[in-house]
Amino acid sequence: MAANFWTSSHFEQLLDPEEVDVVHQLDKDKGLTLEEFKLIKMHMTNCILKLAQSVKVRQRVVATAVTYMRRVYTRKSMSEYDPRLIAPTCLYLASKVEESTVQARLLVFYIKKLNSDEKYRYEIKEILEMEMKILEALNYYLVVFHPYRTLAQLLQDAGINDMNMTQLSWGLVNDTYKMDLILVHPPYLIALACMYIASVHREKDITAWFEELRVDMNVVKNISMEILDFYENYKISDERINAAFSKLDFKP
Amino acid sequence: MAIAGAGQLNLNESPCWGSRSVDCFEKLEQIGEGTYGQVYMAREIKTGEIVALKKIRMDNEREGFPITAIREIKILKKLHHENVIKLKEIVTSPGPEKDEQGRPDGNKYKGGIYMVFEYMDHDLTGLADRPGMRFSVPQIKCYMRQLLTGLHYCHVNQVLHRDIKGSNLLIDNEGNLKLADFGLARSFSNDHNANLTNRVITLWYRPPELLLGATKYGPAVDMWSVGCIFAELLHGKPIFPGKDEPEQLNKIFELCGAPDEVNWPGVSKIPWYNNFKPTRPMKRRLREVFRHFDRHALELLERMLTLDPSQRICAKDALDAEYFWTDPLPCDPKSLPKYESSHEFQTKKKRQQQRQHEENAKRQKLQHPQPHARLPPIQQSGQTHAQMRPGPNPPLHGSQPPVATAPGHHYGKPRGPAGGPGRYPANGTSGGYNHPNRGGQGGGGGYSSGPYPPQGRGPPYGSSGMAGAGPRGGGGSGYGVGAPNYSQGGPYGSSGAGRGSNMMGGNRNQQYGWQQ
Repeated sequence: MAANFWTSSHFEQLLDPEEVDVVHQLDKDKGLTLEEFKLIKMHMTNCILKLAQSVKVRQRVVATAVTYMRRVYTRKSMSEYDPRLIAPTCLYLASKVEESTVQARLLVFYIKKLNSDEKYRYEIKEILEMEMKILEALNYYLVVFHPYRTLAQLLQDAGINDMNMTQLSWGLVNDTYKMDLILVHPPYLIALACMYIASVHREKDITAWFEELRVDMNVVKNISMEILDFYENYKISDERINAAFSKLDFKP
Repeated sequence: MAIAGAGQLNLNESPCWGSRSVDCFEKLEQIGEGTYGQVYMAREIKTGEIVALKKIRMDNEREGFPITAIREIKILKKLHHENVIKLKEIVTSPGPEKDEQGRPDGNKYKGGIYMVFEYMDHDLTGLADRPGMRFSVPQIKCYMRQLLTGLHYCHVNQVLHRDIKGSNLLIDNEGNLKLADFGLARSFSNDHNANLTNRVITLWYRPPELLLGATKYGPAVDMWSVGCIFAELLHGKPIFPGKDEPEQLNKIFELCGAPDEVNWPGVSKIPWYNNFKPTRPMKRRLREVFRHFDRHALELLERMLTLDPSQRICAKDALDAEYFWTDPLPCDPKSLPKYESSHEFQTKKKRQQQRQHEENAKRQKLQHPQPHARLPPIQQSGQTHAQMRPGPNPPLHGSQPPVATAPGHHYGKPRGPAGGPGRYPANGTSGGYNHPNRGGQGGGGGYSSGPYPPQGRGPPYGSSGMAGAGPRGGGGSGYGVGAPNYSQGGPYGSSGAGRGSNMMGGNRNQQYGWQQ
């Protein structure tokens, strides 16, 4: 997206991690833990990705959709805004915003194809209604900046042109959407953190280049640690997901 | 959370999240009309502030929130400039549905979504079309400079407007001009060589590269439209009133010459160049046709109406043009006269009545209503501004240069001469400018040199398939209430919309269909 990140609503809306990691009271009342809250968001990120691959949209659309979903859950409860409806609707909205429109009926077709569980199978009407609620929850701020373009520029600037490094850091950026990093850090810092991890992993020394950047390396390293922590604890199982959802689905 | 529960209206002042209800505003009157929505002038109850409410209707919408509205919101949320219309907020209406207890059913969206804009009194076309209206040269410079300043800001922020035309340039009574209707706008990036649709920009203002099918383009497309508007302001009527794409290109070539590899390197590789390339040589006649323009104006116009987009002047350079820095200088917007609000919709009923009246008169006296032409600018720089209110007819007739006596400038819909019959000579026979293409179009509709000129630019009374409301017919005062579904239109060339329409034209035009 064009324009300047620093004057954007995206920048103004960056949050502290403490603000992101808050389970909505309604969900808390149902016994949902912070771990489960994160787990569901991660699971739904995967769902968005799978759905996006079926309807063939760019990674950028996925990234925007996931960002929308994560923003929604900083303000809304999962009890009222069922993740299984929010996720595809965010993809639907993001596809419009990113100029890769996907028809609602196509989306619904693939939702049914990918999910045998009735609870995932929402209809067009429900997606369209939820779209309005999401727009409102987002306060109509639709432009999201992502680390991808910055990453490409930074890699070039650092003189890295081997595919190995590029692909690894690109993949790392993709994976950061399984966390809430995009709500907390400016995209260029996320890009730098991914480059940093990639360089360490591939034993490619670009410390000199990092030092020349006017960037607080502590912040970059902290973000890198968050990412590495995530990989270490990244355990998603159907059992845990089902347990979390059954709490949400519980009607007293 | 500031969202109101079901059955409650959300009347909070500025909720952190979620939007207020439209009931925070009192609708005063409708100022625009479209197939898919209306534009209202409204007052915010709490503050008394006057705003424009543009309705985005949600029923009939098979693909949810219209993508045109998404584009517009996305872009307006990031543009903040004195020459760009300000989107103040978005409000929702609870809609007519009620539950058993007679309360709204809690679906806030059925009733529609409104975009709240700052209120503007006029649009440029509406203003220019006021009977007897003459812009002074400093006034034209003032508007042009504001237009270019706003557009430069958009382009710097990597936004293409893609529908620059008079009715999308709103003007308030402080003389401020603002770009509006970003429903076709989109972001572009210099490094990203993305393919964009060429089915944008209202036909009369569409640049040759789009007409030739280019899908990679940039800010130059908007600059062509600016050139068309500039020429129109000086000339008194649109300069390229084509009825379809081939005719549009032909009109451009007749004035600007035919493109070739010399004046436009690479043109032969544009998709439809071979389909449209002229069969006979055509010389550039711009300087000759507009020789009566001021030297600096002509110079600037030359650079705006340059065929090759890569050589066309950009907004920044245009602002540096001699034209804006030589006497008479652009005036201060605040010094411009205040005009009675001129929104097309508001005057529509008046015009209709007038037309009725004239037709009666016609039957009785066999006298035809006379179209009024726009007047070219007042040339003397010292002269005070044009007539301020459409009061009694000023004695303009005698002082009117011969240039503007061609058939009048209208929207292709019947519109009586508000000044009453007999103000201007009806036929463009008293010399002056003849459009290079006039008379050569056989069946083009619209213009004829017969004794009874049709009213306005459109095809005379429904002669061509679509009820051609003309490209500007867009309802409405530039807040842009166009139909949202344009992207599902037919393929290029078969869009079938009225003359001068852009891709949304079909729908936009329909709104006036009932007037026929």
